Amino acid sequence: MVVAALVAGGIYVRSIVGASFREVETIRSARVHVAGMLKQQLDEETAVRGYASVRLPIFLSSYYGGRANLPLYFDRVGSDLATLQVESAVPALKDAINTNRRWLHQVAFPLITTRRNRRQLELHGKTLVDRFRIDASSIDSALARLAAVANSRAQEAVLLVGAFAAAAIVAIVLAALIFTVQQFRLGLRLERQRAASESERRRSVEMQAAYETEKRIADVMQEAFSQRIFPDVPAVRLSATYDPASEQAKIGGDWYDALQLPNDRVLLAIGDVTGHGIDAVVAMNKARQLIIGGALLDASPDKVLAHANFELVRARSPIITAVSAIIDTETLEFSYAAAGHPPPVLLEPGRRARLLDFGALPLGVAAKTQYRTYRIQTVPGAMIVLYTDGAIEHSRNISEGEAELLEAVEAAAQQPTDRAANVIRDTIFTQRKVADDVAILTATFSAAMRRSA
Amino acid sequence: MSENNSIKVVRLSGELEIARKDEIRAALASAEQVTPVLLDLAGVTYADSIALTELLRFCIEAEHEHRRVALVIQSPQFSRLVQYAGLASAFKIFDDSERARAYLDDGEGR
Repeated sequence: MVVAALVAGGIYVRSIVGASFREVETIRSARVHVAGMLKQQLDEETAVRGYASVRLPIFLSSYYGGRANLPLYFDRVGSDLATLQVESAVPALKDAINTNRRWLHQVAFPLITTRRNRRQLELHGKTLVDRFRIDASSIDSALARLAAVANSRAQEAVLLVGAFAAAAIVAIVLAALIFTVQQFRLGLRLERQRAASESERRRSVEMQAAYETEKRIADVMQEAFSQRIFPDVPAVRLSATYDPASEQAKIGGDWYDALQLPNDRVLLAIGDVTGHGIDAVVAMNKARQLIIGGALLDASPDKVLAHANFELVRARSPIITAVSAIIDTETLEFSYAAAGHPPPVLLEPGRRARLLDFGALPLGVAAKTQYRTYRIQTVPGAMIVLYTDGAIEHSRNISEGEAELLEAVEAAAQQPTDRAANVIRDTIFTQRKVADDVAILTATFSAAMRRSA
Repeated sequence: MSENNSIKVVRLSGELEIARKDEIRAALASAEQVTPVLLDLAGVTYADSIALTELLRFCIEAEHEHRRVALVIQSPQFSRLVQYAGLASAFKIFDDSERARAYLDDGEGR
């Protein structure tokens, strides 16, 4: 829009200025023509007088020149006056033409052709030429007045050009300024958007990174569990699985341990920390150390849990459910204590799988919680299954979950003992995804290694 | 049973899970430093470990402060979960509210 206004304004100013200068130029050339006209008349007159005085033909050449040229000058001045619309000067021009004709007829011709009355003719000629001079001067004065007006108009036009140029410069500067400001604002907005999208991207990258980190930790933990080297005790065959929640890369707090202890004993432990994330992992490791440490000191399962609980309450740990169990490979006695954790499953040859007794508060709740050690005398071929709640809570119907678990345990008994945990897991999760962390640990007593107590 | 009016009743029902954590906390907070409290969970059919932890914390705190709390639990599923959590061994649990009220009234009389 600014450009269009400038172009239109420019064309307008240019036309005004052009017209003004064309007028001034026309007037100037008209005045030259008037001066030329007068000069021709004076030259003619001088030539005629010269010839009349000395009769040398040489004088007549400028007379004839003047006679040839004057009509052209009259013509030009006439058209100049018409172009410039100077009607006031037209009578003067007509008078000049008329005067010239009168001078030719009444003065020039007689002077050239005769020698009579030379004195009177010359006086009359002078009168006519003076009249011609007055006519020319009057035309010139009219043109001079017009020139003054045209000049001032041209000056105004020049001023207009200056004003327009100034206005154009201001407009261009303003437009440039507005453009710059708009660009700057646009730039700012773009920059804000870019910054916003950048921080958005960074946040999502960070979240992705956090997710990847947790996923990696979860993977490493699973890897660590799946590569677990179990105690090489002929009397007991162990198997285990650990599956982190599949929905998200949640670092679960589920764990299990199987450790050979002095005096032909094996420690089995399983647990679940409430919540997920690094805190859960830290709490889990603390609980594992406490339980393993307690078991190594030959404490009974209830004492192991009581001590671990005391320390965890002091450490303001998240709540942890756990089972700590000891298998005596000499006597086949299975002793355990549970802290808010689902009960172990026992499957004895020729019998249905069953849930064992249990019940006490989880670890980390109350410092003075008492735990109880349950002692089960098992038989060769019997299988003990420890698990975390993911194995029975998948449908939120605990009774159903427990029934499915017991069936899965019975199915696993038909398979090689080192695959028992996998079979249980696969049987339960054939149709459904693993929604929560699931850890399963099985211990099968070898029939061949039976010893009497 | 005029003393019934003095029993603070906290009622929760349905499936207690992490999504309802704030609601559960608010309900339990309304019975803080109050005694006796009837925790009416008759309509509860499930509780995840987060919800169980909240219930546990409430009961443990009440015990510390020698406040009397009775729980009413009817759903076998939820009852099982409460057993797992060890609540059954540590707190008074009833399968109907009349008996729970009777227990709390009895305590008041002591």
